Amino acid sequence: MSKILEVKDLHVSFDTYAGEVKAVRGVSFDLHEGEVLAIVGESGCGKSVTAQTIMKLNPMPPARIVNGEIILCDKDIVNATEKEMMAIRGKDVSMIFQDPMTCLNPTMQVGKQLTEAIRNHRKMTKEEAHKEAIRLLELVRIPNPEQRAKQYPHEFSGGMRQRVMIAMALSCAPKLLIADEPTTALDVTIQAQIMELLKEIGKKTNTAIIMITHDLGVVASMADRVVVMYAGKVVESGVARDIFYHPAHPYTKALLKSLPTTEMSRDERLVSIPGTPPDLLNPPVGCPFASRCKYAMKICYEAPPAEFEVGKGHHGSCWLPHPDCPKDQAGGEQ
Amino acid sequence: MMDMKTMNMPEKKVDDNVLIEIQDVSKHFKVSEGILKAVNHVNLTIYKGETLGLVGESGCGKSTFGKVLMGIYPATSGKILYHGKKDIEITKKNLFAYSKMAQIIFQDPYSSLDPRMTVGSIIEEGMIIHKMYDKKRRQERVYELLELVGLNREHANRFPHEFSGGQRQRIGIARALAIEPEFIVCDEPISALDVSIQSQIINLLHDLQKKLNLTYLFIAHDLNIVKYISDRIAVMYLGNIVELATSDQLYEKTLHPYSKALLSAVPIPDPDKEASKKRDILGGDVPSPINPPKGCPFASRCPHATEICRQEKPKLEMKQGHLVACHHVKK
Ligand SMILES: Nc1ncnc2c1ncn2[C@@H]1O[C@H](COP(=O)(O)OP(=O)(O)OP(=O)(O)O)[C@@H](O)[C@H]1O
Ligand SMILES: Nc1ncnc2c1ncn2[C@@H]1O[C@H](COP(=O)(O)OP(=O)(O)OP(=O)(O)O)[C@@H](O)[C@H]1O
Ligand code: SF4
Ligand SMILES: [Mg+2]
Ligand SMILES: [Mg+2]
Repeated sequence: MSKILEVKDLHVSFDTYAGEVKAVRGVSFDLHEGEVLAIVGESGCGKSVTAQTIMKLNPMPPARIVNGEIILCDKDIVNATEKEMMAIRGKDVSMIFQDPMTCLNPTMQVGKQLTEAIRNHRKMTKEEAHKEAIRLLELVRIPNPEQRAKQYPHEFSGGMRQRVMIAMALSCAPKLLIADEPTTALDVTIQAQIMELLKEIGKKTNTAIIMITHDLGVVASMADRVVVMYAGKVVESGVARDIFYHPAHPYTKALLKSLPTTEMSRDERLVSIPGTPPDLLNPPVGCPFASRCKYAMKICYEAPPAEFEVGKGHHGSCWLPHPDCPKDQAGGEQ
Repeated sequence: MMDMKTMNMPEKKVDDNVLIEIQDVSKHFKVSEGILKAVNHVNLTIYKGETLGLVGESGCGKSTFGKVLMGIYPATSGKILYHGKKDIEITKKNLFAYSKMAQIIFQDPYSSLDPRMTVGSIIEEGMIIHKMYDKKRRQERVYELLELVGLNREHANRFPHEFSGGQRQRIGIARALAIEPEFIVCDEPISALDVSIQSQIINLLHDLQKKLNLTYLFIAHDLNIVKYISDRIAVMYLGNIVELATSDQLYEKTLHPYSKALLSAVPIPDPDKEASKKRDILGGDVPSPINPPKGCPFASRCPHATEICRQEKPKLEMKQGHLVACHHVKK
């Protein structure tokens, strides 16, 4: 499997009048053909900013890539011009959003929008592109695609609009599809349809998928690998089974423990994580999770923990199991 | 808490234990395309001290039902009888007395608090309206309530925007508790919050229920949370209750085809279980509540639907210990 994307030590900041918001602070991961990578983490931890930076969709300024590399299909796009990006978007990478109306034109028939998107990137006659549009609508399981193509977005239900947006995103056969909370606004039965669809498409076309969500159920059902973010940093990454069954970072552990299971009785208390995430205007010097971590030691407040290998392909950033952790501190509160 | 006996009889009236009787309540809205039937002929009993979970797809009428129960929307037809500190029918005329006994916690902790009021005055407001206590005692109550929900008294002089989502939700809870209600409608009180904050709020609601013997109607999307917190669960589809059972019964032996689809669609945060799970993925979309179908509301998506389902609306009846509305579930 060849590598589609490599993000190396990415730092993204926003220059606001209150100061520099350090939204992404050293994120690295890679992604191969046909793979589904989930990015999880609390609200505000930098998931969307990371994804938008890969598409270079965030307006710069106020956003600014402070450091790092984004190698998409063997090309570093950090310095790509807007013109180059326009060719890349759609062709190599497309994105689906939480709100489908952000990328559908309310005044244009759905079929026409699809046909135009196809012809922007692929050499096809109008008739060929129309055929392709109908095929895509079928692929995303819109019933009666010929008739539906003549309708406008507002005549579709929320779930159908989401599927149309997926069809748009697929119209140019991208190598990478980024889905930013594609099902958060939908209810579970429609969510299940969309997830099934994305899985099937990933398999059929070998498209790599980045799935951003805070729903760990969605992650368990879709992801091959998982990146866990906290306050702009990757705190843990690995294959899904390792993250779910052998989490190494205290944040990942706490997150998994805080979920109620259907076996739980009403008399058991849920595990919760006290406190709130740090402010990214003044991020802490040490581990970003230290103030909420029940294992935190002195060194956690003083220096950012370096990454260490938990197992094959499984990495974490935490002082606790780190080989360089001062011996008199380690394990004190386990 | 209810004892097991009453829990096994979801609808039998146990006089002293009944808090609210909802009798054939409907709520319809006039919209430009016609009449939107948001809530349709709901019959339900809520018992003292229980948590009744309410689940269903987006737009199926959960919030509307919660608002009708609060008297925020008048019911289009039907009757709601309340047997709390006072025995009253929930009507416009009785709303003030009722609002002393029942409160709502809204889904959105951001827009439901007035940004120009201090946290202290937000919490105190209900007590002033209901002429509760003197000024000094009210002030003390504000501090007590802040501490009860896990904030502290210094927070009283601050404004909502200075708080995180989870903290604001706690302010909303303190406000609801201030007037010492017996019954609280929790309309998706945790959906807008982070996973790590959700469990704080659930634990809090749970502790308060025990301490103050509260009754909750708990509306939610997250079925794992609903299962965890509820004594009984009502499943709603297109404005109709289609199944009602204790939460253990509902999970152990789901009867209605829609409840089954709903439960099987919830992704489990466990990769192995997800991989081996049998799914009933529903095709199609929810029909419009404007001119809803005349038969079973679920017939257009139901894998078991037959002619009778499309012709005749199934009644909510006791079958196999659940209340269920489906032609094809055996007695
Ligand atoms: N235009 C902007 N100006 C200033 N700060 C911003 C801007 N956009 C995002 N941020 C900040 O960057 C951080 C990361 O935001 P991001 O949208 O990536 O979070 P997220 O992980 O996607 O959260 P959510 O789960 O809520 O979508 C946040 O702290 C946010 O406040
Ligand atoms: N004030 C109103 N006027 C007209 N229609 C309304 C009004 N309030 C709700 N509706 C409609 O009633 C139906 C039920 O809405 P409701 O908000 O109760 O759904 P819900 O089950 O709470 O959904 P969600 O899970 O998305 O919150 C929807 O079709 C909605 O559009
Ligand atoms: S009544 Fe018919 S359509 Fe409705 S749920 Fe039962 S089997 Fe399905
Ligand atoms: Mg986001
Ligand atoms: Mg609602």
